[in-house]
Amino acid sequence: MDALGRVAVIAGYEWRRALAKKKVLALIILAIAFQTLIMVALRQLFVGGFSINEASSLIWISGVLEGGLFVQLIAIIVGGGSMSEEYEHGTADILLSKPIKRVEYMSGKFLGGFSLLAMVEGLTTFVGVILSLWFFGAQSGLQFAPLMFLAIVYSSLIFFCLSFMFSELFRGSTIAMLFALGILFASSILSTILGFLYGNLSRVFPTWAATSFPPLLMSELITAPSTGLLAADTGALYEAALIIAVYAIVFILIAAFRLLKSDVTKKTA
Amino acid sequence: MRGYVKNCVICLASPSVLNVSNLTKYYGKFKALDSVSFEVEKGWVYGYLGPNGAGKTTTIRIMLGLLKPNQGEVQIAGANPSKNPVHALQSVGYASELPTLQTFFTAEQLLDFMGKMFGLPMQTRREKTEQLLDLVGLKEWGKKKIGTYSKGMVQRLSVALALINDPMVLIMDEPTIGMDPEATAHFRSLFTSLSKDGKTIFISSHLLDEVQRICTHVGMINKGKIVFSGPIEQILEDFTQQWVVEAELEKVTENIVSSLKALMFAKDVKVDGNKLTIELKEKKDVRGEISSEIFQQKGVLLSLNLRKITLEDAYLQALKGGQ
Repeated sequence: MDALGRVAVIAGYEWRRALAKKKVLALIILAIAFQTLIMVALRQLFVGGFSINEASSLIWISGVLEGGLFVQLIAIIVGGGSMSEEYEHGTADILLSKPIKRVEYMSGKFLGGFSLLAMVEGLTTFVGVILSLWFFGAQSGLQFAPLMFLAIVYSSLIFFCLSFMFSELFRGSTIAMLFALGILFASSILSTILGFLYGNLSRVFPTWAATSFPPLLMSELITAPSTGLLAADTGALYEAALIIAVYAIVFILIAAFRLLKSDVTKKTA
Repeated sequence: MRGYVKNCVICLASPSVLNVSNLTKYYGKFKALDSVSFEVEKGWVYGYLGPNGAGKTTTIRIMLGLLKPNQGEVQIAGANPSKNPVHALQSVGYASELPTLQTFFTAEQLLDFMGKMFGLPMQTRREKTEQLLDLVGLKEWGKKKIGTYSKGMVQRLSVALALINDPMVLIMDEPTIGMDPEATAHFRSLFTSLSKDGKTIFISSHLLDEVQRICTHVGMINKGKIVFSGPIEQILEDFTQQWVVEAELEKVTENIVSSLKALMFAKDVKVDGNKLTIELKEKKDVRGEISSEIFQQKGVLLSLNLRKITLEDAYLQALKGGQ
């Protein structure tokens, strides 16, 4: 079996392992329930006074983006448990005593966890579109839904990689998730305050790129050209894309360095 | 390609399947292994003995590439598991002590997954899974989640997992711990038959009786240092073929010890509190001579026994630096 085959075996294993965890399934259900609730609320808002104008035909964008918080949470939970739970349960020994390189093992874990996250994001995108069609009728710009999905997947890289890195650094799932959640909230608050005070300085925080990239892309593609609702900001779009890539690469390199250079710890839980 | 050629050269140069040379490992300032070296050749059943914390598990984890030694290296089938795990561990099966397996799998699923990790084709995985579950007595449990298994069943499954790739080298850490006596006997005979099939088996164990029954070679480690490594016949010759007289006295004096040491048949005399162990040069009932000597030195004898020393005595002596 070649290196790609070994990575694929671990990626498949990671899917089974993550899906066996009830908290991941619970968060997927919660994300969809939250999306549905927001759509119902928006529908009530439109019916109860707001005129159904042109914007309602683009409501699918908001329907898709509403799952964003849950998607970041799922990213943190999937990433935070990926490496650390194997150490906690003592199963890292079993996996790493097989004919596989550590870098292949980590790649499999990463790809398995991230593809699972992408699947969840695909599901929430699909549900968002369906709910928009159901509650608000025909939608425009739906041809960009796959791009929107890819933008969400790409933007979730930051917090998935951050949580994945902590998972390997601390080798404890709870502490990894808590640190990643702490950074998510701290970064969100700080970037809002600094954005208000100093404008572009807020962009150095990971939450800015993670939360801005999908709406910036949609603004570039649909809303600005067709409705003028949001001004397209191509520079910010590229900046967000670059920041996501830089953060993700740095986090993954730190995790890889830790795994390659240190001993495999025995069962910790 | 370079690595492959290098590995082949090593294979030709060394007849050993498993070569541990000069391993030193620190945990912080604590020296867990101190220049540990031994070799295991094809077909050997090597028992690795030592008290808790002696360094047995550390050695095994370095052999599997899980720990990086500060000094020295391990070669399995000519490859270093730390640097080239794909080559070195392809022909290794490992069963850990009281393993924690993936509880969300059934035994069949886990065996199939491990088969995939070794790159086995689907048909082979199916056949091996069925055969191994039968071998370890878990055929009826194959479709049940591992989370529902008892400790003994997990241990049995762990042995099955170690055999999925038909390994050339089996590394087992306390393989029969948690098993009932019937299963223990079954697995002992399984290990013996695997060894007869040419497999090399490395067993870390506390059970000296088990080691004496199934091992061809023994390594003893204490405080991170190898105190004995060699054929089991050698240790049995060196130690267990000897006969000793054990004497319990009210009080042991210098005079008694020196007079006993001066006896023609005495090889050595060891003192442990008020007990004396007189090692004999040959098997001979000399209790009469010993008791009269003690009596002459005004000693009060409480008990006197003649016996052949056991592997346990040899083990304890080796640990004390006797070897």
